[in-house]
Amino acid sequence: MTHENTQITSPPSPSEILLHLGPQHPLQPGPFLLDLKIDGETIREAELKIGYIHKGMEKVFEDRTYIQIMPLTDRICYLASNANNDVYCRAVEELLGIEPTPRAKYLRVIANELNRIQSHLLGIGEYTTDVGFLTMFIYMVRERESIVSLLEAITGSRLNHNYARFGGVANDLPPNYKSMALKTLGEIGKLVKSHDEMMSSDSIYLKRTKGVGVLTDKVASELGVAGPPLRATGVEYDLRRIEPYLVYDDLDFKVITQQDGDVFSRVKVRLLEIQESIYIIEQCLDQIPSGPYKQHVTPYITRPKVGEVYTRIEDPRGELGMYLVSDGSNKPYRFRIRGPAFATAQALPPLLIGTYMADVAAIAASMDSCTSEVDR
Amino acid sequence: MATDKTIMVELTDAFSDAISDVDVPSANRAEARIDSSKVTEIMQFLRDKGFDHLSCISGVDYPPDKMEVVYHVTSYSAPLVITLKATLPRDDPNIDSLCDIYWNANWYERETWEMFGIVFNDCPYLKVLILPEEMDGEWPMRRDYAGYPNAT
Repeated sequence: MTHENTQITSPPSPSEILLHLGPQHPLQPGPFLLDLKIDGETIREAELKIGYIHKGMEKVFEDRTYIQIMPLTDRICYLASNANNDVYCRAVEELLGIEPTPRAKYLRVIANELNRIQSHLLGIGEYTTDVGFLTMFIYMVRERESIVSLLEAITGSRLNHNYARFGGVANDLPPNYKSMALKTLGEIGKLVKSHDEMMSSDSIYLKRTKGVGVLTDKVASELGVAGPPLRATGVEYDLRRIEPYLVYDDLDFKVITQQDGDVFSRVKVRLLEIQESIYIIEQCLDQIPSGPYKQHVTPYITRPKVGEVYTRIEDPRGELGMYLVSDGSNKPYRFRIRGPAFATAQALPPLLIGTYMADVAAIAASMDSCTSEVDR
Repeated sequence: MATDKTIMVELTDAFSDAISDVDVPSANRAEARIDSSKVTEIMQFLRDKGFDHLSCISGVDYPPDKMEVVYHVTSYSAPLVITLKATLPRDDPNIDSLCDIYWNANWYERETWEMFGIVFNDCPYLKVLILPEEMDGEWPMRRDYAGYPNAT
């Protein structure tokens, strides 16, 4: 695969026009500029320009102590804040040579999976507005609200959870959490299933999404994408299964895949993953051991040994990695964030070439990008 | 296809003069230091052996005289992540691009270039990605970066 398909290589000819989609546009999850060279309705070339909300996080983290970084990792992507907390926390734990307590491992998995459900629900909601299915957005946000309340009950905050701590978590489960969570999750499972049926049986929606923006498994792995866009092509790449962290080894779950690799499949993967996450949380609530939820003394002032570590996690959007270099002081020497949305954003322009203008919104939204994390 | 840690033995055998400091800290991680002039051959070797996923490229600055490019290579079917580090001189950091081997290397190389000033030879479209154009040539992620002049 060449690199010319990521750039606008020449000025438009008389039959073509150059269309700037962004940096502010109602369909976008955040500001980015998508330049399209179109001929009639067909896209000839596409180029993605990012950096509109660059926060310089990697530089900022070099000047913060390890525990100060924890709440900042939430802001990498607010929809995946628990995944960000967790992967950062595991990186520091590995450098410190400590392990979270058994109960804390389960609590982190519960928080991670709730986080995945709410991220998928909002992702699908935003996507459905882009394909002209506004009703579903309202439903999805309503369902997400109860999941966010479940997260709030554990972590104390609705979006930026700041939940993981080195060797443990910040809070234990509140009283009666299990019955409350099982009741809500049961309802959400049924509702999402009925939404899934509604979407799968709507002929207009099917025409709009089936066979649109097709990625094959070969092209998808060539482009370096991970997460739902890759699993929608049939590749069983899920870090929870391939490189089990926390307690995913002890849990029973399927890696959701679809075969077609089109817009419909990518959304279907997310819908089915919601059910799978609910199943994981139910197992966790059954199996969770009693005991301390944090170390006897939580290390707040941390000076890890000299060394480096690369940890990965299955973020709602794919593979999130963090590369941490420690020089033995109380601040990281280098902190690199390998975001999943960065990889999917890079793969977007080649996917758009040859498609119709009207499908751009559907394809872009089905990749479930997060501009905040692309720019960091 | 050897996508487990025996790959490190194969790699050392194939490039004995370009690989040093091989270490396998855990079952899922392996690391080595590589000669920066051999990076494309080594990556092509790994790709042919089944390491089909370039996870990340990062730069690390070690003033006053060194810079490092760190590659994390892994596979879509196995958990082993190989960390390869190439050391470059800080006054003229340049290394060959991997864009022909791993398609997704492009954005990682562009980002490392704009943040550290590490030149990736033959990288297509080596221009600013995240930074605004007026910060081209500032190399803000270097350790001794003093800050962008505040024009106001």
